[in-house]
Amino acid sequence: MRAKINIYLLEYAINSLFRQKYKSFFIAAVLTAIIFLLTSVFFITNSIKHELQSTVDSLPEIVVQKINGGRHYDIDISVADDILEITGVESAVARVWGYYYFENAGVNFSVVGIDEYEEQYKNSFAFVAKTLDFNKQSMVVGEGVKRIMNNNYYKEYFNFIKPDGTLKRVDIGGVFSGDTELESNDVIVMSKESVREIFNMPEAKATDIVVRVANKDEIATVASKIKLLYPDSRVITKDDLKISYQNIFDYKSGIFLALFVISLFTFFIIIYDKASGLSSEEKREIGVLKAIGWRVDDVLKEKFYEGFIISFFSYLSGVILALLFVYIFKAPLLQNIFTGYSQLKTSFTLPFVFDMQTLALVFFLSVPIYIAATIIPSYRCATLEADEVMR
Amino acid sequence: MIELKNITKIYEVNKNNMVTALNNINLTIKEGELVVLKGASGSGKSTILSLIAAISKPTSGEVIVGTNRASKLPDNFASDFRRDNIGFVFQKYNLIPTLSAKDNIILPLVPLNLDVKEIEDKLEMVLRMFHIEHKANQLVKNLSGGEQQRVAIARANINNPKIILADEPTANLDEKLSLHFIEMLKELKRDGKTIIVATHDPLFFDLDIVDRVVEIHQGVLA
Repeated sequence: MRAKINIYLLEYAINSLFRQKYKSFFIAAVLTAIIFLLTSVFFITNSIKHELQSTVDSLPEIVVQKINGGRHYDIDISVADDILEITGVESAVARVWGYYYFENAGVNFSVVGIDEYEEQYKNSFAFVAKTLDFNKQSMVVGEGVKRIMNNNYYKEYFNFIKPDGTLKRVDIGGVFSGDTELESNDVIVMSKESVREIFNMPEAKATDIVVRVANKDEIATVASKIKLLYPDSRVITKDDLKISYQNIFDYKSGIFLALFVISLFTFFIIIYDKASGLSSEEKREIGVLKAIGWRVDDVLKEKFYEGFIISFFSYLSGVILALLFVYIFKAPLLQNIFTGYSQLKTSFTLPFVFDMQTLALVFFLSVPIYIAATIIPSYRCATLEADEVMR
Repeated sequence: MIELKNITKIYEVNKNNMVTALNNINLTIKEGELVVLKGASGSGKSTILSLIAAISKPTSGEVIVGTNRASKLPDNFASDFRRDNIGFVFQKYNLIPTLSAKDNIILPLVPLNLDVKEIEDKLEMVLRMFHIEHKANQLVKNLSGGEQQRVAIARANINNPKIILADEPTANLDEKLSLHFIEMLKELKRDGKTIIVATHDPLFFDLDIVDRVVEIHQGVLA
């Protein structure tokens, strides 16, 4: 009979919380706010981590750029043929791409050129290559790009301004969803010929060359061979890019750490206050309960229910509010702190990442600690003689 | 039977404010007896009740209640002993003011996790017995002194204990309510309960239901 949930004890615990409604409400509100802040920050960082990881995963293994005077210049397409001669190289594709600043919207688009029959170095581009009509002056744009163009009344085509000031009209032939949110919000794909025209790039030149290596362990060796072959080039491996992205994130995570510390500090002030003792009324009540036949474990069970109800309610409220804040309202203020305007685009939407570990971490940082802080002083009081507590 | 053997109780032992509440007391109370402990404030009457209820432990000596050595019971066993055997009516009632009368009355049953029906039956019985049905849902803080006392007595009887201990039960009541309380005691006595009343109210000393008046003076039986 004792194994089933004691509804009367639970009811007593709920009543007890309502009896101290202002205190209970204040604690629940502060706990909810802390859990909300902490969970929001975790959600944002998880989403950014996920996005960065996806970006890194979709990056080519080696990128070769021509450098002169420390600046990036277009590279000869013939370099790709020389690289293909290196043992271990699976493919070398000359990329034609550039950034196009769309002044009306204040955003940069990445305009990428592809050829119908070349091997695509990205999964999303392989899909685009099938849908893009290479015979027409058309392009396939990311979902976010389409949205921006629509907002600026470019529903069926877009006019690119060429370096000589003339316009090049390109029809919007389709919309694609990129491997990452960043890609979807930023990339325009069209034929290499059109890209060359927009950026005034000669036929024999490319922006850079992406190299695929059959054996991942040989990436470093192949990279050093390319460097030897073309000393004026910059050879960037996937690992270099990963470190670069990671550094950006590590810098941002300093802000996360600051918010984390502030949240924990506030939480532990509440805990300290709870754990440091009971009011004389609370003590007397425990004494009375013991005097009328409650055991120490009955008192502790009731206090456990009280602590659990308030902390679990705060946990649920905090997490639900954080979910709404981050994924429905797009984390106003906080997202800008973490994503900034330079590293990622303003239209960047945090992808939904469900991470049980995060939820478990916040749970274990809040609920059990709060329950312990509720139970410990009650235990100290309940183990004294009832007579002593009531006096 | 309740037996207090060579009981000494000292509060704040080895401290500057040390108080000897009871000094080598011996007392036996038979089953079904109604005993009045008579004495001035601070004479040690309440301490005797606390020791019998195992709410506190003697500094030396032994308290035996029925087959239980009340003074030697570990904490949780002492709680079980109180719940099953003792109904305590405290001087200031010790009710929880922000709970309703019925919620206060069923408090001793809460940890038992009984069926709703069983709790309701017991509640109904004591509400009727102590004429407090009409106030069952009211908050205790809104009840009069006499009503609060009836709630306290109902709570003390919800488990149908064999022993009723009442500490200065009429201290906060006028004469009419005190007489009403005595009527309730008569009913309890009729039910065969052992009753110990600690009081200095002269109303109790010549009652025909009282079997014995035990006088206590400065921690020693007179």
